[in-house]
Amino acid sequence: MTDYTAILPLVALAGFAILAPAVRALSKSDKATAVWALAGIMLSAFFVVDFLLNNPAGSAVDYMGVVELNSFSALFMLIFLSVATYVVIASMRFVDGEKHVGEYYALIMLAITGMMVVASSLDIITLFVGIELTSLSSYALVAFKKTNKRGAEAATKYFIYGALSSAIALFGISLLYGITTQFSYLLVPGTSPLTFENIGIAVQAAIGTPIQPILYLATVMLIAGFGFKIALVPFHMWAPDVYEGAPTTITAMLAAGSKKMGFVALFKVFLIGLIATKSDWSLLIGLIAIITMTVGNVMAVSQTNIKRMLAYSSIAQAGYILIALPVATVSDPSVAAYGLAGGIFHMLTHAFMKGGAFLIVAALATAALGENIADYKGLAKRAPLMAFAMMVMLFSLAGIPPLAGFASKFVLFSGAIDAWRLTIDNEWMMWLAIAGILNSALSLYYYARVVKNMYVEKGPESRIKVSRAMAVAVGICFVAVIVIGVYPEPFIRACLDAANAFLGY
Amino acid sequence: MSELYNFLSDINILTLLIMVPLAGSIITFLIGKNIKAAKVIPVVFSGITLLLATLMLLGFDFNLAGVNVFQYEEQYDWIQTLGVTYHLGVDGISVPMIWLTALLCFLAILFSWDVSNRTKEYMGLMLVLEVGVMGVFMSLDYFLFYIFWEVVLIPMFFLISIWGGPRREYAAIKFFIYTHIASLVMLLAIFAMYFVAGGTSFDMIFIQEASASFGLDFQVMVFLALFFGFGVKMPIVPFHTWLPDAHVEAPTAGSVLLAGLLLKMGAYGLIRVAIPTLPEGALELQWLLIAIAVLSIMYGAFASLAQKDLKKMVAFSSISHMGFVLLGFATFSAVGIAAGVFQMFAHGLITAVLFMVCGVMQHIAGTREIPKLGGMAQKMPIYATFMMIGFMASLGLPGLVGFAAELPIFFSFANLGGEWNWWIILPIASVAITAAYYIWAMQRVLFGPLTEKIDTRHLHDVSWYEAAPLAALCALIIFFGLQPGYIYDFIRPVAEALSALVPLGG
Repeated sequence: MTDYTAILPLVALAGFAILAPAVRALSKSDKATAVWALAGIMLSAFFVVDFLLNNPAGSAVDYMGVVELNSFSALFMLIFLSVATYVVIASMRFVDGEKHVGEYYALIMLAITGMMVVASSLDIITLFVGIELTSLSSYALVAFKKTNKRGAEAATKYFIYGALSSAIALFGISLLYGITTQFSYLLVPGTSPLTFENIGIAVQAAIGTPIQPILYLATVMLIAGFGFKIALVPFHMWAPDVYEGAPTTITAMLAAGSKKMGFVALFKVFLIGLIATKSDWSLLIGLIAIITMTVGNVMAVSQTNIKRMLAYSSIAQAGYILIALPVATVSDPSVAAYGLAGGIFHMLTHAFMKGGAFLIVAALATAALGENIADYKGLAKRAPLMAFAMMVMLFSLAGIPPLAGFASKFVLFSGAIDAWRLTIDNEWMMWLAIAGILNSALSLYYYARVVKNMYVEKGPESRIKVSRAMAVAVGICFVAVIVIGVYPEPFIRACLDAANAFLGY
Repeated sequence: MSELYNFLSDINILTLLIMVPLAGSIITFLIGKNIKAAKVIPVVFSGITLLLATLMLLGFDFNLAGVNVFQYEEQYDWIQTLGVTYHLGVDGISVPMIWLTALLCFLAILFSWDVSNRTKEYMGLMLVLEVGVMGVFMSLDYFLFYIFWEVVLIPMFFLISIWGGPRREYAAIKFFIYTHIASLVMLLAIFAMYFVAGGTSFDMIFIQEASASFGLDFQVMVFLALFFGFGVKMPIVPFHTWLPDAHVEAPTAGSVLLAGLLLKMGAYGLIRVAIPTLPEGALELQWLLIAIAVLSIMYGAFASLAQKDLKKMVAFSSISHMGFVLLGFATFSAVGIAAGVFQMFAHGLITAVLFMVCGVMQHIAGTREIPKLGGMAQKMPIYATFMMIGFMASLGLPGLVGFAAELPIFFSFANLGGEWNWWIILPIASVAITAAYYIWAMQRVLFGPLTEKIDTRHLHDVSWYEAAPLAALCALIIFFGLQPGYIYDFIRPVAEALSALVPLGG
């Protein structure tokens, strides 16, 4: 009998998603639809947690060799489902009175399903399908407020860039397919030629053969294709416009969810599929990481719109996370796992701190506060709790202890130092950590400016009332940032387990 | 082990010293709507902290001394995967610093009695600052140490940017980013030591004991990083530029804590972490430490001479005096290290008086510009007394606390001999410059005909809440000036043990 454990979370979420418009049509209540969406998310999370509790650490179940549930995919599923939870709760108020609310929730859930597919995929075609599911849902969500010109422009931009990057990634994948079929006699019998494992075998075999140049081309195409999704410099130009134009709850989902999905895809393809040629790409990825964080931070300094500032800060944070990729290629298993765990941990904390920051912007925007940084003057008097939460999120993003962002940067940057002291040929990895800390210090400048506006400057006196649903959604992120910061032990443990499962140690 | 010691250990005195101000700040933030309550609660909580710190001083066991011998230790698991524990402990170096912290925070809060703008935030932040500084002086785990180290920045950022002078925004952000970069460089050094020591524990004692296996190149590199991290905080020339801005713009109590405690954190880091953990690296870089110390001493003194703003003069004099701390440490001799730590303590007391005096002048006369002032002693005799005691102590008058620190530092530096023989002239000469700027400033501000450049009709003497802290500090300056042994008794055994770690001459 086939074991369905691995696809239960996916099926549950997708099933609830498909029925969401019907629920809206029958109940005629936006609230009931949101509750329905939450029920689907909870059910999906239940299946994941159930798997984790009833199986020893390190175990894995797959479904027909297509998707696999293990410590790694389970952790990411829970991250994505947390994002879904706070986005849905925040949306209860945010899409109040809009048309097509049923479809809105359905699309959010489908986007999250796509991310979960990516996290659990065992072969590159499944991975690609997951990415496309998320992307297509996101295009529609960005354009959700149809009458808003900026939203429509953002959606168009997002769609064109997204389609282009998918095409580029697909081209890279097809080149990989060509390589694997060359070595089909080496592959694991009875499996698709495009599992990450088989790609790894074929790439290893291709080294030194006349088809090696094709491998380079494929690598470049994959970096470019996934680089667009993650908004790595120089493929980042779309991100600020889209983040600014999209409904802010959706921006939170894009920054906290979609971006992580891109990383998961990148990690799977490079750390399993292309690991044999790591010496060809790890330095390149390291350079992209440094350039990405620097450009993101430098651009963020001059922004006047808070959503654009946060978008650039997201780009910078992507640069930090990317540090994990070269570090995870070192040959010492524990160092590699620690490095990867740092990246995973930072994705986890980033999902809450950046998502939380966008939700606060959304909450204040529904209460008719503008989205310029200048509009935040005197906020501490007008909405003390929101201002305090925003300060915590921003300081966490900057990496100030004892908040979540500090804990994850601590693991992430120390991973680079660990790799540096390990071997002589990894000496350049120290620069990843140095670039990371210098950038963290630079980022403090624009985060502190917002905090200064909120707490030091004087603004209008009128109080701002934030709706309860929004407050709950922000509260989830706030509590997560504090708890992870003060007691990171279980989270670091989970990230290490995930990294070990991912790397197969 | 005295009964008091056992009692204090049982009640986890060190955690209490962190928790009391923390509780005080939370309560102040929550119920500080009432202005009166927002002043009384912080005074009470910082007063209790001072009381506890005094008890800790009294219960200290002088029979226990040496490297890595700590008292009132507490250790609990925290992040097992990384080897992080909640580990607190004190020895003869940290105890005087903790007492100084409790004292200055209490007095600074008292001194701020007239703050009327956003009182509860002001007082709450002062207490958060106290939590951070306390934690730095008692942490024995690098992770914990770093958290407290950074916690200090946030309240100080707000204190400068909300209650500061005209250029407060620039000064606050410069302070924040400058010192944050330094902290991060220190963090990198901590990572490097952690991994080379095995990657199993962030415990300071563990890493110190494992450091015997560190190679010389590694020691030098990590020491440089730590020296930068701690040096910016001290501050050392050429990384001092944040200090004049931050000091001049900060509110008076903020300046008191900044100079009295935050600068000490840098020096404390050097002697607690950098030198004992990386003794060979330190020895290799002795020339650099001495050169920078002498440079800081001379630069600070000359810069003070040139200042027109009383507060800016005091700020630059801090650079000069912290240079003495570094000079004492850099000799790696027991006398030098002990005197360096004593200088930290002495400078904490003296500089608090100096900044309070500047604050009072700003408050009463509306300006700190030395050329605009004159003959103030006629109108403010009590004020003039405090100012004279502070200035005299700072310039190293025998019988006051500054002298008891500086003399042994000169002695230890002169003892160093070798290629450094003639260098002693420079720090000695700086004393003359120091005397010059202080006496000259005093002459222009206090004596001579009463100034006509400002409205002198409303001048009055110090208020009670200003006089009380100043009087207490002046009394302590005289007391410890005559009886420096009370503090040296704590420091000396540890200084001897630390000095033995550095393989001098071999």
